[in-house]
Amino acid sequence: MTARHRPLNPRRITVLAYHTFTQLVRMKVFYFLGAFAVILIAANFLRLPTHAAPEAVGVQLLYSIKSSCAGAMTLFSIVMAIVATGLLLPKDVEDRTLYTILAKPVPRLDYLLGKFFGVAALIFVSLLVMDLLMTGALQLRMGGVLEQQRAAGEAFGHPPEMIEAQLAETRALGPTWALQGAVFVIFLQSVVIISVALLLSTFSTSTLFTAIVGFLVVFIGFFQADAREAYFHGTGVLGKIGSAIMTTALPDLQLYKLIDAVIEGRPLEAFDLLKVTGVTLFYFVVYTFVSWLVIARKEF
Amino acid sequence: MEPAVEIENLTKVFPAHFGGRPVRAVDRVSIRIEPGEVYGLIGPNGSGKSTTMKALLGLVAPTSGTCRIFGADSLAVDSREQVGFLPENPYFYKHLSGAETLRFYGKLCGLRGKSLEARVDELLELVDLVEARDRRLGGYSKGMLQRIGLAQALVQEPRLVILDEPTAGVDPIGSRQIRDLVLALRERGITVFLCSHLLEQVQEVCDRVGIIFRGRMIREGRLEEMLSIEDQTELVLRDARPELVEEIRRLIEAADGAELVRAGRPRTTLERLFLRETVDRNE
Repeated sequence: MTARHRPLNPRRITVLAYHTFTQLVRMKVFYFLGAFAVILIAANFLRLPTHAAPEAVGVQLLYSIKSSCAGAMTLFSIVMAIVATGLLLPKDVEDRTLYTILAKPVPRLDYLLGKFFGVAALIFVSLLVMDLLMTGALQLRMGGVLEQQRAAGEAFGHPPEMIEAQLAETRALGPTWALQGAVFVIFLQSVVIISVALLLSTFSTSTLFTAIVGFLVVFIGFFQADAREAYFHGTGVLGKIGSAIMTTALPDLQLYKLIDAVIEGRPLEAFDLLKVTGVTLFYFVVYTFVSWLVIARKEF
Repeated sequence: MEPAVEIENLTKVFPAHFGGRPVRAVDRVSIRIEPGEVYGLIGPNGSGKSTTMKALLGLVAPTSGTCRIFGADSLAVDSREQVGFLPENPYFYKHLSGAETLRFYGKLCGLRGKSLEARVDELLELVDLVEARDRRLGGYSKGMLQRIGLAQALVQEPRLVILDEPTAGVDPIGSRQIRDLVLALRERGITVFLCSHLLEQVQEVCDRVGIIFRGRMIREGRLEEMLSIEDQTELVLRDARPELVEEIRRLIEAADGAELVRAGRPRTTLERLFLRETVDRNE
């Protein structure tokens, strides 16, 4: 095989990824961002019942903006990862466009990776836009909230140290680096889900099948760690092997729930971020390798 | 010289599904196509034409036998560098325009920059789609889709072009355009391997044909040899006086062993009549 026809050619993968990205953009998936903007505006006017002290006024507002935006981002990334990935491969087979691509000097692994990176790029760009909107809204609102809290603290005659401590707590609920890290974790979670959906679509012939099984895998993924604990806890070496198989076969998405803590204002540890990145890489490599094994032998 | 296509004893058996029986789609088929030839594989639906083509493109793996393109095993990615393929009823990506489609396939073949743009312009001109270059394929007619499909097949200047039912569903005008393109490819020395069940078109463009039936190659050879009737001779006269025709007739009757089978005016085909009354009239 000549060098330029070997698998993992970055230029060819980029061509396929860019094409996949364009295809999805022209399918008007970015309309979802309009829905996100509506959620953001609604969150700005949401008045949740609060038991906070008067000097902690506005905290619930910041919390509501963050949790609504994070929820919308998670939902968008999961739906997009499953549906878009599940749609692309069967559609290419059905329309026979896959024949014309594989009839060119394109290794099947490069085709798969092109699809993967195209969907991943779309989700990355969408999350980036949503993150910018969320950060902007938080920044705008936090200025006002800090002013209100300072005024309330002074009216109650609290000492300056106490007021500063309250303001520091409030700042932790604003647009922090931990929040950016948490958005990145949402992206990493979608990388795992794209890998799963890609694997499913290599042997499925319909988008519906991929979507249903994909959502099922995601659903199980959120409870997998608990199930693993219940089934294999204290069962010795065999239990550990069973646990490892279960963790590999079905992604453990509980690991990606770091965002909940960040929304409540807790910091995101660098170790946790590194661990999640490593786990994501592991799932990506394993699922893509299996996808390649399936598609390399597939006949069209 | 290395053959453009060399298929040796190709057999493809599709495994049984849900208790059914295995399907032997292609049974010990051998085909050899020399560079520059236009070869037509004809047969009824389900006779194994498309499976043979897919095996040649590495889209299905042979159960036994081998397929080679200019000496390279067709299962290897390298073999595809020399091949352009137009599948039956291709849809392509509707969200791309004609020019974007050619750019996409060109980039997959490693073309870049000015050479790619020049190639896109050249191909759009060749298939007569210059005016529709920026229109999305969703708005193309069937004939236009077939032509852009042919252009994408030619994007990397392949030495072999494989066409699976290139005129399926296309009207007679579009069909003639595709036929003319195939003839233009032959002029340029490009090998063409096409399969069709439209026999008249195959007859018009092919040098050699193979007839495949129920997965087996039942007849193969040069077209003129296969079509000529050994014990008959054809004379076509223009502006012949009735007396001359009568004299020829008398001579034949007087000759020992010869027999006049048919005499009269030769007929055109319905397709030629249609084209003469529509396109040629406009020209």
